[in-house]
Amino acid sequence: MSMLKQRENSIRKIDWRIFIILIPGLLYIAAFTFYPMAKMLIMSFFNWKIGYQQVSNFVGLANYKNVLTDQIARRALLNTVAYAVVTVPLQIIFGLFVAVLINGIKKFSVSFRLAYYLPVITSWVVVALLFRYIFNNQGLLNYFLSDIIKVVNKPVGWLSTRWSALFAAMLLGIWKGVGWNMVIFLAALQSVPKEYYEAASIDGLNGRQQFFYITLPCIRGTILFALVMLCIGAFNTYTPIAVLTGGNPAHQTEVVLTWMYFQTFNAMGKMGYSAALSIIIASIIILTTVLIFITFARKKGD
Amino acid sequence: MKGEKRNIYVYIKGKYKIDIYMMTRYILLILGLIITVIPMFYMLVSSLKENRSTFSYPPKLFPSLKEMTLSNFEYVLVNENFFKYLANTIFVAFMTVFIAAIISTLLAYSFARFKFPGKNLLYSMIIAVMLIPGLAMIIPQFEMAVKFKLINNLWGVILFYSAWVTPFSTFLLKGYIEDNIPKELDEAIYIDGGSIFTVYRHVILPMASPAVAAVSILNFLFPFEELGWSQTILKSDEIRTLPVAITMFFQAHNRTDWGYVFAMTSLSMIPVIIFYLLLQKYFISGLSSGSIKG
Amino acid sequence: MKRYIAVGIVIVMLLSTLSVFTSCSSKKVETSSHEPITIEFWHNYDAGSGQVKVLEDLIKEFEAEHADIKVEHVYLEWEALKNNVVSGAATGTLPDVLRGDIAFIPQFQSLNVLEEMSSLSDYKDIVSGILEAPNSTARMGDKFYGIAANTNTKILFYNTKILNAANVEVPKTLDELWEAALKVSDSKTIGMVEPWTGIWNVGPYIWSEGGEVLSPDNSTAQGYINGPAAVKVIQKLADLYKSKALAGSSMDPGALGDADGWAAGTYALQLDGPWREKSNIDAGVGYGAIPLPAGSKGSISVLGGEDFMMFKSSDDAHKKAAWEFIKFMTGKHAQVEMAKVGQMPVNIEAFSDSEAIKAIPLLPVFSEALKSAKSRPVTANWSEMENIIATKVAEAITGKKEVQAALDEAAAEIDKLISESK
Repeated sequence: MSMLKQRENSIRKIDWRIFIILIPGLLYIAAFTFYPMAKMLIMSFFNWKIGYQQVSNFVGLANYKNVLTDQIARRALLNTVAYAVVTVPLQIIFGLFVAVLINGIKKFSVSFRLAYYLPVITSWVVVALLFRYIFNNQGLLNYFLSDIIKVVNKPVGWLSTRWSALFAAMLLGIWKGVGWNMVIFLAALQSVPKEYYEAASIDGLNGRQQFFYITLPCIRGTILFALVMLCIGAFNTYTPIAVLTGGNPAHQTEVVLTWMYFQTFNAMGKMGYSAALSIIIASIIILTTVLIFITFARKKGD
Repeated sequence: MKGEKRNIYVYIKGKYKIDIYMMTRYILLILGLIITVIPMFYMLVSSLKENRSTFSYPPKLFPSLKEMTLSNFEYVLVNENFFKYLANTIFVAFMTVFIAAIISTLLAYSFARFKFPGKNLLYSMIIAVMLIPGLAMIIPQFEMAVKFKLINNLWGVILFYSAWVTPFSTFLLKGYIEDNIPKELDEAIYIDGGSIFTVYRHVILPMASPAVAAVSILNFLFPFEELGWSQTILKSDEIRTLPVAITMFFQAHNRTDWGYVFAMTSLSMIPVIIFYLLLQKYFISGLSSGSIKG
Repeated sequence: MKRYIAVGIVIVMLLSTLSVFTSCSSKKVETSSHEPITIEFWHNYDAGSGQVKVLEDLIKEFEAEHADIKVEHVYLEWEALKNNVVSGAATGTLPDVLRGDIAFIPQFQSLNVLEEMSSLSDYKDIVSGILEAPNSTARMGDKFYGIAANTNTKILFYNTKILNAANVEVPKTLDELWEAALKVSDSKTIGMVEPWTGIWNVGPYIWSEGGEVLSPDNSTAQGYINGPAAVKVIQKLADLYKSKALAGSSMDPGALGDADGWAAGTYALQLDGPWREKSNIDAGVGYGAIPLPAGSKGSISVLGGEDFMMFKSSDDAHKKAAWEFIKFMTGKHAQVEMAKVGQMPVNIEAFSDSEAIKAIPLLPVFSEALKSAKSRPVTANWSEMENIIATKVAEAITGKKEVQAALDEAAAEIDKLISESK
């Protein structure tokens, strides 16, 4: 008790000093990220002009209205949500599965870890290019399907239509993300106390039961963490679509960020529109995160 | 899954014991491995093929030795400033890792251990940085880079990169400190008359090093990967980083020298793999922190 | 132990100040007349075909002639070049000279960043030595915002092996072209390739059939882009696409890129520029080329190429130095040197230079095509209009929409854009 008291005293005594260690870091982040964020918010209410000596006018919510009534923007939002809904759970499932497998083996565990992590450390642009050439009309996959195992008699246009192209992009996202999930789930699995399993074995629980009654509850925090991080990543997806289809054909496969990029640079500086779009997507991400937390918190209470 | 006690063994000729569960695990892992590695293998194979035959039909996963050549690697190493680009990228990566490590440990320490007015608000603002699409901020950030005279300057990428990776690093480190470093250690230092700086130096830094190593792997990777911003900032040839240099092979009119692209990419993965291997033993333990476990 | 924190902070501060100094020294700060002026030159000359090397040699020669000017050249990939001007416009960090796609002129002019070149006293003299058609791409209204750097146009390339194997004659008219494309297509071969569906791609067909994109004064698209000639051409392309005799990554992202497809021997016919010759030679493809086969109203191809541009943000001394450099680069010597690595000259003397013709064997074919080639509308918002057209044409060709309906939508959207920008 006296220890605690003393610590509280000592903390109170040195209270002001934490600002010395806090302020430089905060200023740094503030300068390089808070400022641009604030600026973006302001831009979203203006008919923002970037040209030489051009005047920007305040337009209120017009940019937001333009985004929400724009058919392509809405399709892009839908595509993004679909991408998130498919890739996030599958990444977690596959990542967890691989982690459980690796956790249970004795030899080569480091080699497997490295091999599964390789896609994570390869540049997005390059892996997306590789996937493009795998899913091409004349690519590796079609060659395999039509000329080697002969299940189709003509090439499948994987990248040619909206949903099949999104499917390829989703596969790419999952393929690249499994390694990251494997690593964090391995970390989580290794921190589950071994005594739990020993006790369970004595009680006669089999492997599957142990997984569902011990492992899953113990790592639910990690699953929550992965869920949030992956949702953020999925809503920010850009390179897979940009490289695989470029949003083609006719903006069918556009996701939010590729469309934003197009509006910013190809449509010659529709900055206000882009800013509004990014505020909207940020709100969706924040809302999703809050929803995930609420859902999980309630379950925890049960 | 510690179910070894009930594992099923198959005896071959009564001599060799094969654990069926273990076998299944390896088989499944190897199957997954094949799917994971095929694209990487395809990249390596393509880097060994001549530019013109990269995409000849039928595509070959296993070309004959005759078709393979080291000429792409030779071109990249001899005709391009590959080592200059590599040195730039590694410099940027190390500085990013270094700055992010200092700032995020300081922030994580303050947020994990102290109470002060506006703490929750500040912390959620830092977390919110992770949620905003970075691409959207490119114009305001570019304005800043111009004001600070950071255009065409490696520091222009370093300072922004470290600012971008710091929130996530802070988030992980804060959880690790709260979870894995007992407060009693802090107290011991205070009793000995130490200050918060002593605690930071002698408790937080050494104790949090696995977590710092883990976030450093992620941060080290960033400059090897990021393209949009570096392409905006780095213009002269002598300061290009590898991702920017690779775009030099994407030429006008849809012509791309794929062999060079894949050769350069394969080469640029080497430092990342080395860095990962050096720190990988901390990677798992460093990530098992409170923030991940929730 | 404050020391460590203090040291940390000091390091960060030192590093950032250091960076300010280093960046200052690399940026143009020299203004006194004794020190050489450094001009920044952005371009996207191909590194792979040796153009950057030639550029560096030319810069050395230029600097030897002009002791008071230094040229710092910056290679930027096509997309990056454009994006950097957009972000540079927002912040005033633009180069002194840029050599970029002719389509950039109206785009950048809409950002109000381009210097009007025709106000320079000797602009007229210089332009008199340059081919008129390519230079018209720099004109908006009666002012010029750039000067032609090199030109190109599209001619019909064909894969001789594929045509011979299918026993198909080289097409002389557009109708024969469509027929030939159909005839050579099979499971491994695709008759024609168009990587995009903008006017750069479909314009020549529309024009050759007597159609137009916009009204002559660029005030409306109604009755032009959705006129009968355009509808007929796009319908034809849609039919070809349906019978798998036409491919292109903007209609079907799964299609091989044109350069890769030619190299792989997949594509038989393509309307394309001089780079196709070079990449076909590199890939060892047997090819031939003729001017665009004539439609009912002749053979009208599209003008491509690059212009030199100057920016308002430079000060007078830099503008003067920049103009000197541009004059050097449009002179005969530099143009011939660039021709040797595949850039089609705009300088009239260089165009008939024997060395240039030796380097670009198809130069006579291109020069024939250039006589009737046409520039895309040079008007503000052109890039947005072309984006609209590309989207609608892609929808029409891929069968998502009826051709007439898609083009009607395009016309309506373009007219809306025109009325909004007024």
